[in-house]
Amino acid sequence: MNDGNTAAVRTDEVWKIFEQEAEEVQAVRGVTLVIEPGEFVAMAGPSGSGKTTLLNLIGGLTRPSRGGIWVDGRDIATMSNRALARMRLERIGFIFQAYNLLPVLTALENAEFPLLLQGVNGGERHRRVKALFERTGLAGLEDRRPGKLSGGQQQRVAVIRAVVGEPALVLADEPTANLDRAASDRLLDMMEELNRDLGTTFVFATHDPRVMERARRLIRLVDGAIESDERRGPEPQQ
Amino acid sequence: MSRANTLVRLALRNLRRQARRSAITAAAMIVGGALMIFSLSIGDGGHEDWIRSGARMGSGHIAIQAPNFQKSRKIDDRLPAPARAAAEAALLSPQIAEHLLAAVPQLAVVGLSSSPTGARPAQIVGVDPIAEAEFSILDDKLVEGRYLEPDDRLAAYIGAGLMEGLDLRLGSRLVLTAQDADGEIAGQLVRVVGVYRTGVPEVDQVMIHIPLATAGSWLRSGDDVTTIAVLLDSSDRVRPTSRMLNRELSAEIEAGDLTVLSWREAMPVLDAAVRIDDLGNYVWQGIMFGIIALGIVNTVLMSVLYRKREFGLLQALGFTPRQTGGLIVTEGIILTFVSGLIGIALGLFLTWYFFRDGLDFSFAWDEEWSFSGIAMDPVFVPLFRTTRVLQSLVFLFLIGTFASIYPAYRATRIDVAEAMKFER
Repeated sequence: MNDGNTAAVRTDEVWKIFEQEAEEVQAVRGVTLVIEPGEFVAMAGPSGSGKTTLLNLIGGLTRPSRGGIWVDGRDIATMSNRALARMRLERIGFIFQAYNLLPVLTALENAEFPLLLQGVNGGERHRRVKALFERTGLAGLEDRRPGKLSGGQQQRVAVIRAVVGEPALVLADEPTANLDRAASDRLLDMMEELNRDLGTTFVFATHDPRVMERARRLIRLVDGAIESDERRGPEPQQ
Repeated sequence: MSRANTLVRLALRNLRRQARRSAITAAAMIVGGALMIFSLSIGDGGHEDWIRSGARMGSGHIAIQAPNFQKSRKIDDRLPAPARAAAEAALLSPQIAEHLLAAVPQLAVVGLSSSPTGARPAQIVGVDPIAEAEFSILDDKLVEGRYLEPDDRLAAYIGAGLMEGLDLRLGSRLVLTAQDADGEIAGQLVRVVGVYRTGVPEVDQVMIHIPLATAGSWLRSGDDVTTIAVLLDSSDRVRPTSRMLNRELSAEIEAGDLTVLSWREAMPVLDAAVRIDDLGNYVWQGIMFGIIALGIVNTVLMSVLYRKREFGLLQALGFTPRQTGGLIVTEGIILTFVSGLIGIALGLFLTWYFFRDGLDFSFAWDEEWSFSGIAMDPVFVPLFRTTRVLQSLVFLFLIGTFASIYPAYRATRIDVAEAMKFER
């Protein structure tokens, strides 16, 4: 087991409490977990179980009410907004349920967007993105705007965007929720392959049984707390 | 795309994507820009007319005088002959001569004009008839008789107001009385050869032109003059020409022999009138653009609220809050700058096309309308100035920036996780 310094993700007694109309809602309650580099983890649970909130906490999209969070060995709970933005840019990739591509950019420009913000030069950006387009069966669709792509194609572009910067961690919030079975399988195949070949850590928030089946570690959340943490395969090699 | 390019490209594409919203905002800016350049051109044209008119009824765009003459108006404060010669030599320098329309000597004193029926205060100006006819507009305002001629000796060219006040006619005699160069009160008999009417009572009732030689001998001042009045091809040249004259005449200025006054210093009332009119114009434009800016704030703010999820996504992908705000400001600047540019171009074209011969206000006032002692032409001919175009562009640029600041601030404050849940 990792001591946390080299873990992809470590949380220590993390709480997230929302104030709603003078009432406290405890969305995440004292979650402590360690996710190793290269893991393929699903966090499952019914609606309101806190899986998306936990994913947002790990991704630095929201700050914990208390407790600590370390991503790639860095404490993100106390980081400045600017440092957090840099962390998200360089170390974390996001995949959202609703694809969330920028409608004014082409598929290729969407995919290369993180590299662009990182200041990677044009040639290198195109080389990396084109390779991933080839690999994921999207070759030829580079110049299409998101509106001209199917849901599955858009989500694959979103996956490329999430992994192209070679982040330590990819966080996927219900990535298959809007896809049919075939598109979901294809997307999961692609993510498994990237996980295996690039060693990228994937963490899903999902209630899709197909994602849960594929995950090599399944963390079940109920009412904001971990109910079970089940490993289905060997720990990835460090 | 570099990172700066990314902002610009995203901003441009967002503007294009929201074509209708962009078009509405742009339309406001285009109309505003066109109105601004129209009102500035007409205003500047009007002011240029006032200034030219004031300069040609008085001491020119630039007056070279003895230092105290502006205050005292006494013959004691006249230009010494060497100072006059130096001034006339300086006016011949090529850089000055290039924009010089006329430079005339004037010997001006305050005195009394009397006829058998009464006496009136008078501003008596000894002039060179040929040069003054080139310089002044008084000869153009002739209503009876003729202007002064080189051979005239005891001739006077007077205003219609004075003629009526003293019950004079063409050929009538009147006596001019003033303090001469020796400090004595001296009188001079002259005969009315011409009458003018400018429509400005302050001029028509007091201003008398007589030949410079007559004035010199009457006032015992020889060839001395009180003023060299300089008329330039444009009031824009006043500042650089004054600077050059000050440089060329630095020795005489330091010796206290002369001073170089711009029309603003020589005609402070006209200067105030131009400034007040400009201020009124700016206030009107400020109000108009304030309203336009509020419209832009509203449009951009609505767009920020509508695009909350997009901004959340950008920040999730690594945009800093500042970059997110920067995107909004960039969109605002591009939109206002481009539409402002179109508006200004349109304004220039329409003003030139429809009003190049002037905007005629004669329906609103009669032709003899005066303001601050200056005869005004009811036809306002627009004046196009590059500096006004640049000023307008900078102004529109600032409007675009300021109108985007609050929406940009709102965009920097979004809760990313909440924004990602936002449904359009």
